[in-house]
Amino acid sequence: MSEPIDPRPATDAETPSSPSPSPPAGRWSGGGGGGSALLHILELLPALVPLAIIVIVLVAMVGTTRGVPFSVLDFLGSSWLVQPPGVAGSSYGVSTFIVGSLVTSLPALLLAMLIALGVAIASVVYLPRIATRFLDPFVDLLAGIPSIVFGLWAFIILRPYFQQSLTPWMAANLGFLPGFAGPVSPTGLGIPITVFILTLMILPISTLLIRDTLRAVPRELWESGLALGATRWEVTRRVSLRYGSRGISSAALLGFSRAIGEAVAVSFLIGGATNFPTNVYSTTNTLSALIIENLDSSFVNPQEFAALAEVGILLTAITLTVNIIARRFVMQLGVHETVV
Amino acid sequence: MAPVGLADLAQARRRFARWNLGFDRYIGYLLPLLFIVAIVPILDMVYWLGAEALPTMTWATLTTGGPTQPLGLFPAIAGTVWIMVIALALAVTLGLFGGIATAEFLSERSAAWVRMTANTLAGMPAIIIGMMGFVVFVLYFGWGLVLIAGAVTTAFFMTPYVFRAADLAFSSVPRTIREAALGAGARPIDYILRVARPIVTPQILNGIFLALGLGIGETATVIVTVQPSALAPTGPFSYASYLTYVIYAEYTSPLPADVTLAFQAAFLLLMIVIVINIIVRIVAWRYQTRLAGLFV
Repeated sequence: MSEPIDPRPATDAETPSSPSPSPPAGRWSGGGGGGSALLHILELLPALVPLAIIVIVLVAMVGTTRGVPFSVLDFLGSSWLVQPPGVAGSSYGVSTFIVGSLVTSLPALLLAMLIALGVAIASVVYLPRIATRFLDPFVDLLAGIPSIVFGLWAFIILRPYFQQSLTPWMAANLGFLPGFAGPVSPTGLGIPITVFILTLMILPISTLLIRDTLRAVPRELWESGLALGATRWEVTRRVSLRYGSRGISSAALLGFSRAIGEAVAVSFLIGGATNFPTNVYSTTNTLSALIIENLDSSFVNPQEFAALAEVGILLTAITLTVNIIARRFVMQLGVHETVV
Repeated sequence: MAPVGLADLAQARRRFARWNLGFDRYIGYLLPLLFIVAIVPILDMVYWLGAEALPTMTWATLTTGGPTQPLGLFPAIAGTVWIMVIALALAVTLGLFGGIATAEFLSERSAAWVRMTANTLAGMPAIIIGMMGFVVFVLYFGWGLVLIAGAVTTAFFMTPYVFRAADLAFSSVPRTIREAALGAGARPIDYILRVARPIVTPQILNGIFLALGLGIGETATVIVTVQPSALAPTGPFSYASYLTYVIYAEYTSPLPADVTLAFQAAFLLLMIVIVINIIVRIVAWRYQTRLAGLFV
């Protein structure tokens, strides 16, 4: 007696790591004949919607900068000074903000990747299924929390703690490290609290990606490692992490692009100063926070507006490059393409 | 160096093996503790936002508001609803059509390219899309800083998530069903509306809910395109307040009552997002759909 064939795939919401479904054979348009050329074009057009939006974004930003003189040297200078229109002496150098973006995103990325690796390994390798089903949704919930809520929570609840306890403690005890001594920000705003919040923002996405990468390691590899007498940690370290190294790299890159692009929470916490960061605690500004703070008010000043558009182009270029590299990695790995 | 005998080697091996097993066991206890880093902030946020927002929140807070009653959230809630309805309608239309077209009508090679564009769009910072919205809708189209500019900008931000969900859902329909429909003589529209619809609906609904959650909480797309007003919006071309604006404007206010208002708006947002998340999980569990492709 044969079992009835159930055509529905046995997908499990917890293990989305099966290989990519094969494309349905016989695409409708390959059937030959039937339908005008116009209909065929109309069928395909909606697929171009994302591309169209990207093109509109790029055209909008490049179009805003046309007609305004642009000098690379000025742009990469380090002073951002906006004079009212007609008054000379404005300069639009963004190197301070590039440094600000990097000095907030990179430490956050490092911390988030370490924690994400730990959490993902704990979830995939060590914890029993019941615990995983209960704890994983919490981490994924963190991904959906609006960034402004993060910013508010950090500004009101965390900032006093940073201001009165954490940064003075760091300055007193870690002062021997380069950059850790020196005047602490009196308001508690600045780089440390921004790095903390950015870490929390990168964490859930990275954890999800690394978790799925680790789950995609074939069972045979895992079990043969155990059969040879290795401990779970040894198999993880030597087999899973190496097998999943591309997925982990792409998780890092995507987290980085998320951190660099974060505007609202950073604008709450970074202090909004235009000075170059002098030590680990200083207030400064980042590229995306700069845009969101100044865009509406800059409309009356075409030079400043064009400069902000240039900052936007720079930010887009960075994000696009990082994203494309990240997805190149993933496509080579062959992880279910839609995971990323 | 003293000659190492076989006994020493064996003893060293035994010692290492014991250490190895111990390390494995204790790191198995240690790593799960890192979950605390992820869970404590959520709990802390819920607790603190609740503690600050709930004591003074009444039904009046949610239903009144305006220039004469500055401590009400109704204009902001109404503005958010207006923006989200328009944005959701646009995003679902664009995303659904695009996703279905990609999954059904494109060759596999072209589909790969289109999926890359969708993923790229999903990775763009919201502030960049906001800037695009400002330049295109507020300035170039000449709408001014009105609600519909913010709504369309947010729609552009939300589209790739619906797109991806639709694409995933239709790609996951089993070949046997698809080929059976083809063999029975179904036209594409018949296949989509009658055969595939029951199978893809849960996953597409999940994608829509997810996009909704992202859109409601997104500040950067609306703050540069919409001028806030103290009254509830009267139409798509009016100025409007919205929940995230309340937070943005009031968080540095010296008046504690204003800060409390910001907390109340944040609490509302947080609750909406948590509820959406729970709904998405329940739908995924009930209908066994994949969650992985949607969150990222």
